[in-house]
Amino acid sequence: MSLLELHQVSKTYGAGPSEVHAVADIDLEVDRGSLIAIMGPSGSGKSTLLTISGSLEEPTSGEVLIDGDSLQKMSRNDKARLRRRTIGYVFQEFNLLAGLTALENVSLPLELDGVSAKKARLAGIAVLEDLGLADRATRYPDQLSGGERQRVAIARAVIGGRHLLLADEPSGALDQANGEAVMRMLLSACKKGVAAVVVTHDAQLASWADRVVFLRDGRIVDQTVPPPSAESLVQNVPQP
Amino acid sequence: MTSASDPVLDLRGGGTGSLAARRAVMRWAWRLFRREWRQQLLVLALIVVVVGAIFVAAAVATNNPTPNNLGFGTASDLASYQGAVPHLSTKVAALEHRFGRIQVIEDETLAIPGSVDTYQLRAESSHGPFSTPMLSLVAGRYPTGPGEVALTEGVASALNVHIEQLWSEGATQRRVVGIVEDPLDTLDAFALVVPGQVRNPTEVDLLFDAPGVDPSTIGPNVAHVSSVALGAANPETIILLVAVIGMLLVALIAAGGFTVLAQRRLRSLGMLSSIGATEKQVRAVVRTNGAVVGVAGALLGALLGLIVWLIYRPALETSSFHVIGTFALPWDVIGPAMGLAVVAAYVAARRPARIVAKVPIVAALSGRPVEPKRVHRSAIPGVVLLVVSFVLLGYSTAGNNAKPHVPLLVGGLVALVSGVVLLAPFFLSLAASVGRHAPIATRLALRDLARYRARSGPALAATSISVMIAVIIAVAASARYGNVLDYTGPNLASNQIVVYAPPPAGTQLFSPTGSSTAPKPPPMEVLNERVHEIAEALGAISAIELEQTNANLSHAGPGRNWNGPIYVATHGLLKAFGIASSQVDPSADILSMRPGLSGISKMQLTWSPPSGLPDGKVPNHKSPHSNPNSCGNGCLWNPKIEELSQLPSGASAPNTVFTEHAVHALGLQTSLAGWFISTVHPPTAAQIRNAQLDASKVWGMSIETKNSAPSGMEVIDLATLAGIVLALAILAMSVGLIRGETAGDLRTLAATGASSTTRRTITAATAGALGFLGALLGTVAGYIGVIGWIRSNSLNGGISALGNVPLANLLAILVAMPLAAAVVAWLLAGRQPPVIARQPIE
Amino acid sequence: MSVKHALLGLLSEQPKYGHQLRQEFEVKTGDVWPLNVGQVYTTLQRLERDGLVESDEADSEGPQKWFRITAAGEQELARWLMTPTDLTVPPRNELVIKVLVALDIPGVDERKLLQIHRRYLVELMQQWTRLKDDEGQYDFRLALVVDAELFRLDSVIRWLDAVDGRLKREAPALRAASAELPILRRRLAVRK
Repeated sequence: MSLLELHQVSKTYGAGPSEVHAVADIDLEVDRGSLIAIMGPSGSGKSTLLTISGSLEEPTSGEVLIDGDSLQKMSRNDKARLRRRTIGYVFQEFNLLAGLTALENVSLPLELDGVSAKKARLAGIAVLEDLGLADRATRYPDQLSGGERQRVAIARAVIGGRHLLLADEPSGALDQANGEAVMRMLLSACKKGVAAVVVTHDAQLASWADRVVFLRDGRIVDQTVPPPSAESLVQNVPQP
Repeated sequence: MTSASDPVLDLRGGGTGSLAARRAVMRWAWRLFRREWRQQLLVLALIVVVVGAIFVAAAVATNNPTPNNLGFGTASDLASYQGAVPHLSTKVAALEHRFGRIQVIEDETLAIPGSVDTYQLRAESSHGPFSTPMLSLVAGRYPTGPGEVALTEGVASALNVHIEQLWSEGATQRRVVGIVEDPLDTLDAFALVVPGQVRNPTEVDLLFDAPGVDPSTIGPNVAHVSSVALGAANPETIILLVAVIGMLLVALIAAGGFTVLAQRRLRSLGMLSSIGATEKQVRAVVRTNGAVVGVAGALLGALLGLIVWLIYRPALETSSFHVIGTFALPWDVIGPAMGLAVVAAYVAARRPARIVAKVPIVAALSGRPVEPKRVHRSAIPGVVLLVVSFVLLGYSTAGNNAKPHVPLLVGGLVALVSGVVLLAPFFLSLAASVGRHAPIATRLALRDLARYRARSGPALAATSISVMIAVIIAVAASARYGNVLDYTGPNLASNQIVVYAPPPAGTQLFSPTGSSTAPKPPPMEVLNERVHEIAEALGAISAIELEQTNANLSHAGPGRNWNGPIYVATHGLLKAFGIASSQVDPSADILSMRPGLSGISKMQLTWSPPSGLPDGKVPNHKSPHSNPNSCGNGCLWNPKIEELSQLPSGASAPNTVFTEHAVHALGLQTSLAGWFISTVHPPTAAQIRNAQLDASKVWGMSIETKNSAPSGMEVIDLATLAGIVLALAILAMSVGLIRGETAGDLRTLAATGASSTTRRTITAATAGALGFLGALLGTVAGYIGVIGWIRSNSLNGGISALGNVPLANLLAILVAMPLAAAVVAWLLAGRQPPVIARQPIE
Repeated sequence: MSVKHALLGLLSEQPKYGHQLRQEFEVKTGDVWPLNVGQVYTTLQRLERDGLVESDEADSEGPQKWFRITAAGEQELARWLMTPTDLTVPPRNELVIKVLVALDIPGVDERKLLQIHRRYLVELMQQWTRLKDDEGQYDFRLALVVDAELFRLDSVIRWLDAVDGRLKREAPALRAASAELPILRRRLAVRK
């Protein structure tokens, strides 16, 4: 059973002549431990696909299953619980809440769930240590660099055993080195069992994924096949 | 990666309603406030100022009036005797036997040598059971034996003695051992001796407690301490009422402010939702912020009020002539006011909290919320409430009753205010549809007002309420002051003084401590001499004799009754006011300057006829209309009244006089009432004091000068001005909030070539439209309130009493105020709003 | 591919044996471009002929022969390093030609063509990235080379996206218009 399943998901805005099909007839399956990239030009519906998968928006038709449970049948509060315990979302920018330290930001989903502040902090420290950010725990977001902020956001997205990570252009505002660091972090999270779906328009970042899904005009038009092992590549290098 | 399977930490939470979750939400709300308090400065400052003002007003209002236990100390009853009391010890023993503890205070009035000022030689125990509040030691110590005395500051300096000096009073020598004062009356001048030292008392007071006993059953000279009246007249109640209204206005303005704040935080709140906060938790963030603002505002406001009070208190002590404790603060008003501030802020944040929590998460995150659903606000609930208010107010003061039925009155006012609040959004949509044909800048302004109701609705409601209060006061005052029977207003002009002659011998005198009869007054020459002295000292140009009659004028119909003295139109009086005899109708009975008096029916003149006249006959009265008007011996219906505007208008001045014709025809008896003095310039306070002292040399002679009662015009103008200023202040705060956040259209306009003129026009149109709509709604609601209240209130004359419309004031409210708002907005709108344009959330 | 300048660079460190040069070249370019021994010696001979390199007076041609850079060689090396490579003439790009050809063939689904190539390129990039992740962390030079390749492939993908965009906006009008234009022959070039 896949962690995330989309069956014939469509989303339409407006009605009549001004109708816009953001996404149409999407079928997608994401397993644990896999890193999926969704590529497409702007307006292709990548972000909408992600928000629907993340329970932030409802599809006009079709079904979304997370851990086998259909989102349609869930109330707003159930979906909120899902976001606290299962789904982690990372945006391109402004992920963190000003006024709270990095540690408080990371442990916030747990605290909202009612976990005592003390336990939540311990969990938060553990996650930050895992990601090499423990020394930034007491800084406020405006005291962190862009790359650090994104990595703290990822920490918050995986705390408490959350295993579906959805990222919308997580490296979009970062330079090459920081962007790579973010992708490496996502990859290492996947190695520990998280399923990650990353939306991006950047081929270099998409190339970090196990599978790249191509979206155009709201539809999936193509997917890459899993690559052969790395060694075979080196033989194919053209001669100088 | 830490996960739920982590053996070390059990991360199952207690749910979103648990304490940990609540604390997390509150922590973030508090951190946000700490970071962004500057953005909430407007609302915070508003609450601080209002709470501070209520603090100071309550403190002053409760401490300014003369303490009600003046003379009583802690006793509840006082038996007062003039002069020495025969068998005093027996009386004291009897009262003691009946009521327990009793304290005796004896006063002997002594004159300060070489002066007309007097002081009391007071025998009072410094540790008596009831007198503690009335004695305090300023310096030295209390007298403990016969040869010792303590003086008040004023007496000590007048007698030129200091502590440790010997002082001779008559044959007695005493040593001055201390300086004392009466905290309840710092003007009180006395020399304190131990009990038993006063041989010829002028007054003896017995203090005791007789709970539940009617004082008149104890004796004719017994009085009970007047309790602080609960009810409308109590200043604390009034301040509390003002506090409630003030907090209502604060809540309305704060609602707009919190809406703007929630809008600015939309993205963060969306982020909170995306990591799993429920709608309830998101709402809690905004509401907690409201509560924090309320608490901070209440505490800071109380602090501000305390500081102002500490600075002002000494001045108040001096001006009110009694000692005021530093912390003698009416916490039963200030406490609730502070609580109200917190409640108002919390309630104001509720609707913005609900609105922002309902925004779809994706829209909130992108900062581009969806177009708000077009909610068709119906006008019906508001109209219904206004009708209810109309009915309730009418029932609250039915008939000739002066005392209103308080619950109905309160209910009517609450319904009135609620009706205004509910109707405000409807008025806004009216504005938009009316402005459809206006030029584009105005059209935009009106459309924005109608669209973004969560912030312009409360602003309109607040403006309307302040106008409504002003209109109610102005119209009600105009009805009250327009009543010519129960004449109210300033008693005299500032250059007019009335000197009252002593009452004739044998007149019954009533006082709280008993009744007595008046002694024979000194002969006319003495009186005239005194008046002459007084008039000269005041620089008077004339002193007219005032004669009164034994006739009473009354109004036998519903409504108010006649109030005010009626003097006689002597030749001298008419001449003094420039009334030629040709102007006086020979058949007129009464001359008056009260406008409209001649047209009032059911007026009745009664007097005790001179003895020896046959019954039923009105002697010497040949004119035909008097006979059918006779209502018996000493009674006349509808005396003929002629209006002459030259007569003075003061309530204590001869604004209404009997003609000599009436005096003769009706056989009225006249006697000297006093003298009416006009000066060139208004007398100074020193001159007035001297005149008072001069008059006091003759027993029963007194002086009346202009008091501080405002005239009707002053009340109406003050109310109008206050209402306009308050409305402009509300507009200033609200327009800034409204325009600052909806500048998106301005960008579009600017791109098509519009300039700062457009920005100014839009802001001015917003301010002017809000001002006019507020004035309109407020005036309509105010009239509904007043008409509802007065329609069955015959005491105040019913609806016809509203005939005097204060037109100029209404025009000022309806026209000048919105214009002023528009002009000021135009002038101030030149600068770019510092806030970057965002789409509002509602 | 300027192997001769690379060899000059290697020799500027210190004199080296022939076989040494081959090994070092491969190592220092991240083992991506293997070098033929014969190629190495041919290039060395040319360098010697041009006076940029000199060898030992030993007569054998074997692997024991020492090579050393000359002063002229140093100069040539410096000049090569600091002079931008001539990129004025666009290389004959098979993909570009493919797309241009496809435009005129009726019944060809250009978008599908572009997507096929796009996918292929992304798949290549996936493999390169895997390599960079596995070994590029330890081999700095390999990482440099892989980055170069990734950027190259990325730029092609971007061009494909641009073509997509133009096709979407202008295709029908473009076809009609270009069919009627007289064929102008001219050589397009940028200034050197």
